[in-house]
Amino acid sequence: MIFWEIAKRNLRIHLLRSFLAMLGIVIGVVAISTMGILGNSMVLSVSDSLRTVGDSVIVTPHAGSGSHGFGGGGSSSLTITEQEFQQIKRVSAPNTAIPVLQTSERMKLGVGSDDIVGIVYGLNPDDVPALLKLQEGDYNRGNSGCLVGATFAKDNNVKVGSRISMGKDGEKGTLRVTGIIEERGMAFDVSTDSAVVVTQDWFNTIYDRNDYDQIVVKVKNLDEIADVKIAIEKQMNKRDTIVDVMDTRKVMESIFEAFSSITLFVSAIGGISMIVAGVSILNIMMMSVTERIKEIGIMRSIGAQRREVMSMFLYEAVILGVVGSVIGGLLSFLGGYAISSMILQTTKYLFVPSTMIHIVYGMAFGIIVCLICGIYPAWRAANLNPIDALRHE
Amino acid sequence: MNDEAVMVFRDVVKVYPLPAGDVTALDGVSFQVNRGEFISVMGPSGSGKSTLLNMMGCLDMPTSGDIWISGTRIKDMSDTELTSLRRDRIGFIFQYFNLFPLLNIIENVTFPMMLKTGKGVDPERGKEVLRAVQLDDKLFTHTPTELSGGQQQRVAVARALINNPDILLCDEPTGNLDSKTGAGIMDLMTDLHRKGTTIIMVTHDPHIAEYSQRTIQIADGRIVS
Repeated sequence: MIFWEIAKRNLRIHLLRSFLAMLGIVIGVVAISTMGILGNSMVLSVSDSLRTVGDSVIVTPHAGSGSHGFGGGGSSSLTITEQEFQQIKRVSAPNTAIPVLQTSERMKLGVGSDDIVGIVYGLNPDDVPALLKLQEGDYNRGNSGCLVGATFAKDNNVKVGSRISMGKDGEKGTLRVTGIIEERGMAFDVSTDSAVVVTQDWFNTIYDRNDYDQIVVKVKNLDEIADVKIAIEKQMNKRDTIVDVMDTRKVMESIFEAFSSITLFVSAIGGISMIVAGVSILNIMMMSVTERIKEIGIMRSIGAQRREVMSMFLYEAVILGVVGSVIGGLLSFLGGYAISSMILQTTKYLFVPSTMIHIVYGMAFGIIVCLICGIYPAWRAANLNPIDALRHE
Repeated sequence: MNDEAVMVFRDVVKVYPLPAGDVTALDGVSFQVNRGEFISVMGPSGSGKSTLLNMMGCLDMPTSGDIWISGTRIKDMSDTELTSLRRDRIGFIFQYFNLFPLLNIIENVTFPMMLKTGKGVDPERGKEVLRAVQLDDKLFTHTPTELSGGQQQRVAVARALINNPDILLCDEPTGNLDSKTGAGIMDLMTDLHRKGTTIIMVTHDPHIAEYSQRTIQIADGRIVS
């Protein structure tokens, strides 16, 4: 108890020195924690953007094959035929296989407005609710209506009920917006944020299509996603590779792994600053021991055990570590808040346990580094020869 | 060794091995200190006084021979046991007072007691001992640097007495004080001796040695009288 008191008073009497030692720890904790917070927030942000497509298997025509089809008589363009779709549908059952048509088109959003070029998706109205969520309006059932993405609506001031003229001078007809699709972010299947979604019938009629650009298989049980992928590949690529099959969860896992590695790497760089801080603590503690050799000699001669002398110096290291780490933790939170606001434009990922834990990691690392760096000076103090220490001037 | 002996040295030899050759600091020293005695140890520089004091304080071990303190043979004792012996049986008084500047007077005085009990400051016991060494009550919460040399040495005496030791070991207790203050400290020592405290005092000052009952003269590592 008295040694704890002596440790506290010694740090207080050398306030500037203690502050500078602590500053190193504060910087180390902030560096580690902030990097961790930022990394994890980015992972969560990307995860949020990709969540809607994390349960899909995407089937696209094999890139590089000029023509495909059964018996070599398929379409020469890179598409999936109705027959191929039926096969994919059968092997994917009971999961839902959604055929997707895609093109780009000129369109006009009102009288006097300029033409714009946008992406147009053609989807079967029955499949749309499984793939897309609306933030406003209703799903489109008829051929005179369409859905638009959230960014498209915002950028072009489109509302439910607005009319879009398709093609040059509206030659391909006018569609009424029945609903606005919720923002989906980056997606492996359909990126509808800046697109228009029409019915498959309208698409087929206008563009004279009877094949598909991709098939999205929504897998109900995520554990089966790899099996579905394998089943499709096995069925479709028996002789030649005619389709590419992508398991979005696998892709997401790879992305998260890459992000985790980056987070770990930048945290490790932060860790270097902590090691520098540790060396500074070691230096200051050694100085403290050297300055107090005589005091240690007196303590030992009047009955202080080695472990008691050791504890006194370890208490100093612990106080520096805990106070420095707590301050560092608080600053990390504020720093994380500021960086999240600036880089990710949101702080919602800061308040989740997997992000906040990085502050705990940083603080724990700070305290451990202080303790480790305090051990040698404390051990040295405890093992001084009392006679030599008493003679020390 | 009789029941009255609080310290016994028997054929104690201390040799320091040095690169230039071994130096014999103590050469077959034997003596006994009985309970309640007031002894001074005198000798010129390099005679072995400091080595003898270190041995008496269990800070150093003899190369050969035996030492008993309060009936305990200190040879083969571990560092922890020796430290406990110092804490519980021996009170140290140094030439330069050696108080802890970070602690106030009460904390300084009760420091060995806190080591012994593992508890916090016992202000009542601290005050009791400080009054016994005639220190003004108003000074109890001051720090050592706020006290005069004489007052600091009284605090050091109080610290040495706090655990009721069997022996009070003094190393030139007046060496850093003016003669008047030194005389005051020696009066205090005499008073403590009268009350039954065993005192061993190392000094080079014959006037100070006159306060003791008996003097051990040491020269070249041997007791000469």
